[in-house]
Amino acid sequence: MSVGGSGGAASGYPAQTIIALGVIGGLIGIYLGDFMPAAYSFFGGIGAICATVWGADAVRRVASYGLGTGVPSIGMLALGMGTVAALFGLSVGGFAGPIVAFIVAVIIGIVIGALSNRVIGMGIPIMEQAMAEIAGAGTLVILGLSVVIAGSFDYSAVVHNVVATGYIALIFIIGGMGILHPFNASLGPDERQDRTLVLAVEKGAIALIIVGFVSSLNEGLMAAGVNILIGIIIWYVAFMKHYALIKRDAYQVVGTGLLPSAEELQ
Amino acid sequence: MIEGIMANILWMILITLGGALISWGVHFVPVGGAPAAMAQATGVGTGTVQLAAGAGLTGLVSAGFMMNVTENLPLILASGAVGAMIMISVTMIVATWVYVYGVGCVPSSAKVKTDPITKYRQDIYVSQGTEGHGIPTVSFVSGVIGAALGGIGGGLVYYSLIKVGTSIGLTAGVTPDVVGNSLVGVAAMFAIGIFLVNAVIPSYNIGGTIEGFHDPKWKKWPKAVISSLIASLLCAIVAVVAILQLGGI
Repeated sequence: MSVGGSGGAASGYPAQTIIALGVIGGLIGIYLGDFMPAAYSFFGGIGAICATVWGADAVRRVASYGLGTGVPSIGMLALGMGTVAALFGLSVGGFAGPIVAFIVAVIIGIVIGALSNRVIGMGIPIMEQAMAEIAGAGTLVILGLSVVIAGSFDYSAVVHNVVATGYIALIFIIGGMGILHPFNASLGPDERQDRTLVLAVEKGAIALIIVGFVSSLNEGLMAAGVNILIGIIIWYVAFMKHYALIKRDAYQVVGTGLLPSAEELQ
Repeated sequence: MIEGIMANILWMILITLGGALISWGVHFVPVGGAPAAMAQATGVGTGTVQLAAGAGLTGLVSAGFMMNVTENLPLILASGAVGAMIMISVTMIVATWVYVYGVGCVPSSAKVKTDPITKYRQDIYVSQGTEGHGIPTVSFVSGVIGAALGGIGGGLVYYSLIKVGTSIGLTAGVTPDVVGNSLVGVAAMFAIGIFLVNAVIPSYNIGGTIEGFHDPKWKKWPKAVISSLIASLLCAIVAVVAILQLGGI
């Protein structure tokens, strides 16, 4: 299951469950964040966390075949396709913006997956599906985090508060980090799905905390405080869970103590 | 939407060409990946995307800077190319110092017997069990060429997107504030998105590492360029429509 190896990843939760969680959770979060008053924009962040988990699982499945290059490349590709699709969907979709963006992302993903397999000849059997999933997840992450900052997914609100101010670059990197980092950090023969996905939740929560700070510009300190607080709670739970899973999977966890002082070394 | 696309077909072709140039340029950049980080392969020790994006985005910024003072396309593209070339040259020269003075290995390529540019012997300097190390002259020159292509491509994409916006009456000029120009923000984000897509496709084509234009893998570039043409065309349509919608808000 290491990078450069071949064969599918062993899994606990089936892919369909994670896809459903990502798509439905992501879209519900984005729509709730848009409908509810500004103080509830954290729903967008929760949607982004669902999508991050899905993206990390898709990266995990496709990268287990060995991409021939680093795992980060696919995370950057996800967010590259995601940005293009998200801005397009919001610009033409209006109320259905996130859904249009998602569909466009899936189409771009399938095309790039097919190009990678047919023209470049990567020969990864799940490439088309995985690319579609990764592009869709990247789009939902961008939309979810944009909703947290702008308080709505209206095209003009997102353009003025997220894109023109440059915070889209921040979303780009922290969203991409959430998708690419969990498998990149956990890969190896002892990689376990639940540990990787909990790490994705933790990364998504960090993204929510960071965009929570930014949201104080548009939504006031109260809403920003709620965003940050919810992010910190999710982060703490996910971090402790991740630490517990590390202790479960490790052969032994021992304290090494402090570095020896100069006298003790002699 | 359709008439908007038809009216901007020239800019869409330029965006597609820009994407293909980026894709071709990545094949020139000496990417060593993780093995190079341990001085076990020729090239800079990081991935294609990081290296190409680092150089290409610098090119984008320098092209955008030039657009503040002139509308002249060749000047803008030259500025983008030079920005990217400076960025990658600095990266490669500092990496070479680390390899030579820190790791203590001789820059050498395992893919060719003599450096095609300097004609120096390579094979006797390659440590056993490695695929070369450091950045030999030919890889350095190749990397600078690749960055120039990437900078031109990125600049072309950005310039075309800005032109699509200005054609419907949006402004991209110098504003009193540093932030707040919607067109510049959206065009820059699309340019970055298109850039990253076109940096990853060739990265899969070369399998993560390449030494430069003397590497046998370099000959595979048509596959990646064809893929990038199709992917960029798709992105160009989407980007042009999204920018045209900016006029309505």
